[in-house]
Amino acid sequence: MNESELMHCGMEECRWAGCGPDCPNFLRKGKRGIKEEIPAYILLVTDKPGDADLVRLRLVDSKFRVNCVSGLSEALVCLQLETPTLILLDPSLGDKDGTRAIRRIMETAPSVPVVILSGLDDDEMAVKAVRQGCQDYLVKSEVTCKHMERSIRYAVERKQLMQALEATRKQQLDFKDQFLSHVSHELRTPLTCIYQYVTLLLDGLAGPLEPNQMDHLRAVLKSVNQLQAMIRDLLEATRADSGKLRVEQRCIEIRELVQQAAEMMRPTAVEGRVRLEVKLDQSMPLVYADPDRTLEVLINLIDNAIKFTPPEGLVTVKASTVETDPSAVYLSVCDSGCGIPREALPKVFERLYQDPNAVDGNRNGLGLGLYIAREIVTMQGGRMWVASEPGSGSTFSFTLPFYSMAKLLSPVITYQGRMREDIVLVRVDLTPLSKALRGSWKEVCQRSLELLRRCIYVDRDLILPPMETEGASQTFFVVASVDLNKANILMERIREQVGGLAKLKASGTLRVTAEAIPGVRVSESRTLEQQVWGVADQVTELIQRGRQRGSWNETSRNEVGKGELQNAN
Amino acid sequence: MLTERRGLEASKSRSKIMVVDDDSDLRQALSLRLRANQFETIGACDGYSAIAMALKEKPQLIILDLGLPAGDGFVVLKNFQQYPALAGIPVIVLSARDPEANERRTIEAGATAFFQKPADNEELLGVIRACLQTGWGWGGDKPS
Repeated sequence: MNESELMHCGMEECRWAGCGPDCPNFLRKGKRGIKEEIPAYILLVTDKPGDADLVRLRLVDSKFRVNCVSGLSEALVCLQLETPTLILLDPSLGDKDGTRAIRRIMETAPSVPVVILSGLDDDEMAVKAVRQGCQDYLVKSEVTCKHMERSIRYAVERKQLMQALEATRKQQLDFKDQFLSHVSHELRTPLTCIYQYVTLLLDGLAGPLEPNQMDHLRAVLKSVNQLQAMIRDLLEATRADSGKLRVEQRCIEIRELVQQAAEMMRPTAVEGRVRLEVKLDQSMPLVYADPDRTLEVLINLIDNAIKFTPPEGLVTVKASTVETDPSAVYLSVCDSGCGIPREALPKVFERLYQDPNAVDGNRNGLGLGLYIAREIVTMQGGRMWVASEPGSGSTFSFTLPFYSMAKLLSPVITYQGRMREDIVLVRVDLTPLSKALRGSWKEVCQRSLELLRRCIYVDRDLILPPMETEGASQTFFVVASVDLNKANILMERIREQVGGLAKLKASGTLRVTAEAIPGVRVSESRTLEQQVWGVADQVTELIQRGRQRGSWNETSRNEVGKGELQNAN
Repeated sequence: MLTERRGLEASKSRSKIMVVDDDSDLRQALSLRLRANQFETIGACDGYSAIAMALKEKPQLIILDLGLPAGDGFVVLKNFQQYPALAGIPVIVLSARDPEANERRTIEAGATAFFQKPADNEELLGVIRACLQTGWGWGGDKPS
């Protein structure tokens, strides 16, 4: 076989690119193709000594380089050193059906095609392997030279095709994102102009208007706001689709949030002549959720409820804990409207669902609101559902997880199966000098948090999720598993790092205080879990007390508590 | 109407605000709104003239769009930081672009605040007044 034979099958009408499966020399030429693009290197993973010879014999004509390893861990090392063109895997290596071996190999080298080489002719196993992502399943006793060669060749091609397909899919998703982001940008620009001129006219800055002219303009303004909400929903829904929706969970007071949502929606309720009631449990535990996003969800649900409730109807917003579920708060928005037909219930959370009974005709948005709301709740570890009786109203409910201090603390305050002895709670207060400006102060807080992260030891200290605070000031809590002396070092480090931030110096003050968590003593009568809970309760109580009194220092009895730095200028 | 009167009391000597946007209609509308609130306004339609005009007119505050011809908003912000005369002027970015991708970037580039279009009039005016009271942008060297 000389070089020209390899290059060309010899038929006049056949050219390199056009040579197909019908051509007698197709495989040989194809092989050459592999060799030129990537040097063909087969990694054979098997613990049966005879297999290596078998494979080499079968591939003797094809000049593939075959490397044989006898174990899974060895194979994984080989994969790190050099990427093979293909992996031939004996599935009996890992466990009985090879699932584990296949998974490990594919995780390590996701771009390399895998062909199973088994001693058993087991159809079920073969299908399973292919479903797991293997390209082919060869039975040792049946495989011939040609068969093996072709299988390898096709496996490589198929894998490349699959990867190209996946790349295209990703590209299309990216394009969709870009497209929507571009479109929404372009739509917002003229919308801004309309908004500006309408408000100019409405505010009388272009001369006095007749009352009916004002009414017309208010209708325009309402539509502008609706359009703006639609553009926002469009972008949010795309983000939810591609998993890019962001939630920043914090420790929040859910009662305040519900009140705030209700207050914000009160004008809409008054306009629709709907009574809006808020029913809250007297005391509610702290909740671990994104306050802005949760407010968005509540407003969305209340807005919907008002929309579907006739005048003189009632909308009730409730927040409560349920005895049967000790880990979540239950929030619900209940209306006395027309209800949802039974057959439509499963569809309401779907994208683009529009209620046919909507009063306002086609003016209800894109039908993305509930879809986005449910995504937001799910991302925070809650769930959302609806119950409805046609004719007597609907109730939309969702849950949000409690803020579990114990769960957060457990990794840092337990060590080798027992409690650490000293635990200190460090409080870092950032207060802006003047009325906070949007953006800039937020940025200062964000930067401070990043610097703070650099001050702590990852396995011993923990920054609690930021607390919601009134106004612009921001408080971070660090739980440090150190004694008081070391806490002083930590505080000094924080003062240096965070206090050194130029933007903070210009715009706010920094205060670092600390308090030891008392009474952490190893007790034989309590399990480790109970001890963690005990510490968690104390930390929570300390934080709560500080929040109520506004200042922490009044309660401070500790040496460390005196360490304090004012960083104003 | 209340707002307009409040504006009059707040600024005895009128502050000069430069509006940078390539959409002339929007520039005009914004200028009208600002003048009604007792601010003096000047306008620029692209990145280059924004810098030239800022150097010449020395505005107390700048409202800046991001998508601009002849150097986008980020180029303008970068240039402002390089001229000592301009580095302290507070810049409010008013853009149709996605805040998630741009808010942080603009603040880091030296802007004082980011608003997505269309921005609520009252909110925008509130931040403008706050900026002018503080006197200087937080990104600048001069203390308040």
